[in-house]
Amino acid sequence: MKLEIGNFHVRDIVFGDALSFRDGILTIQKEEALNFIRQDDRITEAELYIVKPGEEVRLCPVKEAIEPRVRPDGRGIFPGYTSKLLPAGEGKVHALKNCSVLVVGRHMGGFQDGLIDMAGPGQKMTIFGNLLNIVLVADTNEAFERFEQQKMNDALRRAGHKLAEFIAGCVKELEPEEVEVYEMGSVRGRDPETEKLPSVVYVMQPQSQMEALGYNDLLYGWDLNRFLPTYMNPNEILDGAVVSGSFMPCSSKWSTYDFQNTPNIKALYREHGKTLNFLGVIMSNLNVALEQKERAAQFVAQLAVSLGADAAVVAEEGYGNPDADFVACLVALEDAGVKTIGVTNESTGRDGRGQPLVTLDEKCDAIVSCGNVGELIELPPMKVVLGELEALGRDGNSGGWEHDEILGPSVRPDGSVIMENNGIFCGDQVAGWSPKQMMAF
Amino acid sequence: MVKEIERTGIPVVHMCNLIPVSKTVGANRMVPTISIPYPLGDPSTPKEDQWKLRYHRTKVAIQAIATDVQEQTVFSV
Amino acid sequence: MKKAIVYLNQFFGQIGGEEKAGFEPEIREGQVGPAMQMAKTLHAEVTHTIICGDNCMGSNPEETCAKILAMLDGLEFDIFLAGPAFQAGRYTVACGLICKAVKEKFGVPVVTSMNVETPGVNMFRKDMYILKGANSAAKMRKDLSNMVTLANKLLDGVAIGPAEEEGCFPRGIRHQVWRKDGKPASERMIDMLLKKVNGLPFVTEMPIPKIDRVPIAPAIKDLKKAKIALLNTGGIVPVDNPDRIQSASATRWGRYSIEGADGLEGGVFKTVHAGFDPAAADADPDVITPIDALRALEKEGFYGALHNWFYTTVGTGTTESEAARMAREIVPYLKEDCVDAVIMVST
Repeated sequence: MKLEIGNFHVRDIVFGDALSFRDGILTIQKEEALNFIRQDDRITEAELYIVKPGEEVRLCPVKEAIEPRVRPDGRGIFPGYTSKLLPAGEGKVHALKNCSVLVVGRHMGGFQDGLIDMAGPGQKMTIFGNLLNIVLVADTNEAFERFEQQKMNDALRRAGHKLAEFIAGCVKELEPEEVEVYEMGSVRGRDPETEKLPSVVYVMQPQSQMEALGYNDLLYGWDLNRFLPTYMNPNEILDGAVVSGSFMPCSSKWSTYDFQNTPNIKALYREHGKTLNFLGVIMSNLNVALEQKERAAQFVAQLAVSLGADAAVVAEEGYGNPDADFVACLVALEDAGVKTIGVTNESTGRDGRGQPLVTLDEKCDAIVSCGNVGELIELPPMKVVLGELEALGRDGNSGGWEHDEILGPSVRPDGSVIMENNGIFCGDQVAGWSPKQMMAF
Repeated sequence: MVKEIERTGIPVVHMCNLIPVSKTVGANRMVPTISIPYPLGDPSTPKEDQWKLRYHRTKVAIQAIATDVQEQTVFSV
Repeated sequence: MKKAIVYLNQFFGQIGGEEKAGFEPEIREGQVGPAMQMAKTLHAEVTHTIICGDNCMGSNPEETCAKILAMLDGLEFDIFLAGPAFQAGRYTVACGLICKAVKEKFGVPVVTSMNVETPGVNMFRKDMYILKGANSAAKMRKDLSNMVTLANKLLDGVAIGPAEEEGCFPRGIRHQVWRKDGKPASERMIDMLLKKVNGLPFVTEMPIPKIDRVPIAPAIKDLKKAKIALLNTGGIVPVDNPDRIQSASATRWGRYSIEGADGLEGGVFKTVHAGFDPAAADADPDVITPIDALRALEKEGFYGALHNWFYTTVGTGTTESEAARMAREIVPYLKEDCVDAVIMVST
């Protein structure tokens, strides 16, 4: 399977007369883009903004992030979700780099939504603080979940995915500046030099703990709650086979942008044939019942052994009871003789004294640890807020609160905030970006 | 919480689905439940079945606190 | 200028060797022995030195600490330094004991230093800054200088970095840090993976801590007389959530009367737990709080009585220390009503 990602490096984004990409400048025809979004009659209100690193802008509640992409051959970029179900991971796709489409609720937030600052001390807390962002701020008529803490955010998220593809339409016919090639064939009969290297599988545990459908990460449009682990070509992940969901506390989230660019997969690809033999991805999930967790771990270990893996990396999209899936999977792999390392975040609390994961096992002896969901964060006011900052405290955002005896409200009258890292949009970057590390004090 | 209460000499039985978590937090008596969102009654089953399951597991839990144990123990249901 | 007080044992306090180990604590104005060296670079004036024999502290710690605390009463000081204690086992424990007592009573920062092989390290590292000390007094200069460096940061209000950077033993506290080299998780993953798979030494970023256990409480002798209380971390509350228990990272709990109730009804009670799909528990709260079953078993005489209240908090993201505090707040209510045993349902 050979995937060619043709990159177009965006230096600036402006609104203008026609959608175009020229000399690094992405021009968006605002009304045209908004009309495109309004085709979904659930969207009641929509506005577009461009925000750039260093601008004093706060975004909240942020629901999703997508890298704008398009396929020159006319296939859709999220098969089984916004386009016809077809295999992903093969052929050419064009990508607008250094930018993302962000979806922000005009009013209502929820447990799964986060905050992004484009300047100040919060800017470094998520990669999106350092990207050029096309921000869709919108509201919907989905009254059934307006005041629910858990929201599917279906209309808004879909609008974002479609908008990302719509905008990338301007580079469909252009020659990319640079092409990244990802090629992985059968696990059998690889060249003898590669075969001598230690073989590795990458095990992904995307969020899928909501038993009701419509909230979880999707694989080719299929809800990962109803799923047992399977083997996948890593190209599929990099090419839109997975779409992010709307359930996990936000710093633990892997946005669609994260899936499209998964740094851990790209790092394994870079080492492939040099220091290791990258066998591919075992796609697993996160469950709610013990037996489901154990069943998934059993499947993962069996697949790893059958594929002939010497080693494995397990990464989880979540914390709390998903740690039980994570630890069970690491232990099952170690028990099967596969040398395993984990990538995760921790929940040691505001005081840092809590137990890092809810279950622990001494077999988990090699962990890359990317952040503390409970870390207390104070951020100064920003000049501009896109969305509705009150959502952070009012709507049950996982990092915010309405009232606290000692700390006061999350959102203060002057526009400054105090919150947990939990509520920073994709802040823990377990997909591999994280420059953060947990350390003992 | 389980540990802090047991520390005062009051026996605690921990009814939970994630037994590995319960073991890690240090519970001494454990009774498994069926899931996280609905530990004691699967809404997809008839009310009568839910009641039977709940009655049975609660009874096991009460029996557990009247049972002396020497180590962390998971009571079977 | 800020002020400091230093604690030394009989040997470093220049009283004598092992034969003077029973030396009763004394406080002296000014600086004795290592305190003089510290005073040269410390950002505070060392006003007093306390000297105490290791056996005196060792054989009678509470009384000895109390005597020293009484000596300190009324003195102004901004920091308390003990040692360095090197590999002297009794001295390390003495430094730990007195530092802990001083920190608790006066609320000032305390700093000590000991060698990794001594008992004081594991006894006290969660309570204070203990610098990683040498195994002999030949390294006095270095250990003193490390103590002063950390003490000066505390005195100057400079943020204390990770234990490894400061040269301290970890205090059981873990926080996120932006790496100075910005090295992303994906590259750290590759490094660790290659080392582990090739059998080379590697350093995990998350050492597995030892699990803390409590003694097993004895079983109830006679169930027929037992009063049982129901607690849950599944967030079952009256629909208006009167105690405003948070949906995650809870710091609050509530107790709600079930006197005479044969169960909880949907629409009257609900869950505020945000970590799972609430539909089932909202429709029938008894799937988390089995009050219907407990009541039936009570009526059948299977056990004595159900305590008239059930207790609720939310388990998701709630830290151990908060959970422990809430449990300690709940216990008096249980004791007051002579509750014999607890059923805790977690989601």
